[in-house]
Amino acid sequence: MNRNDEDIAADRQSAESLLEAAGKVDLRDPRVVMSLLEADQVVAAKRQSRFGQRNLSLGVRIMLWGLRAYVAVMLILVLISVVRAIHSAQ
Amino acid sequence: MTRARSWKHKSKPFGGARVLWLLVGPGILVFLGENDAPSMLSYAATGARFGIGFFIPFVVFTFVMGYVVQEMTVRLGAVTHRGHAELIFDRFGKFWGFFSMSDLVLGNFLTLVTEFIGIRTGLGFFGVRPVIAVGGGLAIVFAAITTGRYWTWERITLGLAIFNGLFIPAAILARPDWLAVGHAMLTWTPLPKGNGAEILLLILADIGATVTPWMIFFQQSAVVDKGMQPRDIRAGRFDTLLGVLLASAFGVAALLATVPLFHHGIDASQFQAALFAEALRPWIGHIGAALFALGIFEAGIVAAIAISTSSAYAFGEVFATGHSLNRPLRDAWPFYSTLLGSACAAAGLVLIPRAPLEFVVLTVNVIAVLAMPPALAFLMLLVNDREVMGEYVNSGWENAAGIAVTLFLICAGIEFAFATVFPRWLGR
Repeated sequence: MNRNDEDIAADRQSAESLLEAAGKVDLRDPRVVMSLLEADQVVAAKRQSRFGQRNLSLGVRIMLWGLRAYVAVMLILVLISVVRAIHSAQ
Repeated sequence: MTRARSWKHKSKPFGGARVLWLLVGPGILVFLGENDAPSMLSYAATGARFGIGFFIPFVVFTFVMGYVVQEMTVRLGAVTHRGHAELIFDRFGKFWGFFSMSDLVLGNFLTLVTEFIGIRTGLGFFGVRPVIAVGGGLAIVFAAITTGRYWTWERITLGLAIFNGLFIPAAILARPDWLAVGHAMLTWTPLPKGNGAEILLLILADIGATVTPWMIFFQQSAVVDKGMQPRDIRAGRFDTLLGVLLASAFGVAALLATVPLFHHGIDASQFQAALFAEALRPWIGHIGAALFALGIFEAGIVAAIAISTSSAYAFGEVFATGHSLNRPLRDAWPFYSTLLGSACAAAGLVLIPRAPLEFVVLTVNVIAVLAMPPALAFLMLLVNDREVMGEYVNSGWENAAGIAVTLFLICAGIEFAFATVFPRWLGR
């Protein structure tokens, strides 16, 4: 077997292993299907399904409301500090 | 098999680098986009006020926090193939979704206004009239989106973003004491002295220059638009890390460029871009000053492109209209209208004579910091949601880092609240 034959054999082996791997792809697995699609196909495909709304525990709801109150108070304080800064500049 | 592998490596010697080149983009763009006009001016003000010391490692530290946050968006986008706004609406419902969007819309619009201020004042250094400068900025935003492909848009914006590096030669021309820089990096000293309220404002501004809500929404949507998959997460992390390294180097360079003003005792508290460049001219020369002004212009342009795109992505996701840069203008006109509409409104505001623009400049980075904890809470909840993320949920370390960043930002906000309610507390 000369060097050229060796290369051809290696290529054939590589092609066979790729075909074998392709045969093992489970197209029923949505993650596999997603990974095989083009970017615009993914955008179109994902429109077919949506994640449902999750149940928010009491702790999570308290945290989200707390952070919302935090932002509201802080925005008022920002307004106060800006009015002060503008007045002192004048 | 081994043979086949070696054949593959022989035929594609730079295969790995080529794949990385194809996959990098959102991470670099988001961090160089966040090195925007107000951020660079905030670093410049820091350098002019406090010189080399505590703030150099502190700026680098804020970028580490930025990495912790943005890495989570890469995973979320690659695994779910959904933008951030869309996921919040899906998992938390409309009520919390609209709250989250209101923070984003307010923050994005104010930031966009400051970008056009940066564009106007940056070109003002060269004598360009405000109408021409702002109109030119709008034309570049428009030109970037007419390509009809995310890939082309990304490469054009990356090409512009690399000019953020103009601050490096400006810093070199300022001849900083590199030994002092090394000492500051290792010891976080000398600590800033003087007016506590001013120090706190600069700390908040420097944090707001690195971690903001629009970055979360933008990078996740860009990862989706780019078509990244879970197998690309590693490359996405590298892309984000590269963005952090470049942006932190350019940010520190902006700080170092203005250190001569500190050494000569020049008060830079009311400076904008052109004034900084003018003030620096005697110490870093005309070329250095021009580089600084061009850097501010570039920072404004890239951020204007990225932030208006971030608003458009979120709008498209929430109202379920086409929201991809891969779509032609006529197919996704609501998406492109939001993008251009927000940019035009911000540009128009900048051109109104005697508009209270100081108000916007003063508040934009502070508002970004204060709006960040709720955005981080949603991000942390989503990235720990096994139903959404499967095996890609946060590890214990990632949660610890995310919680630490959130608590740090809340503490900074509370300190700001104390300083506002009790002005004498920090020795104003």
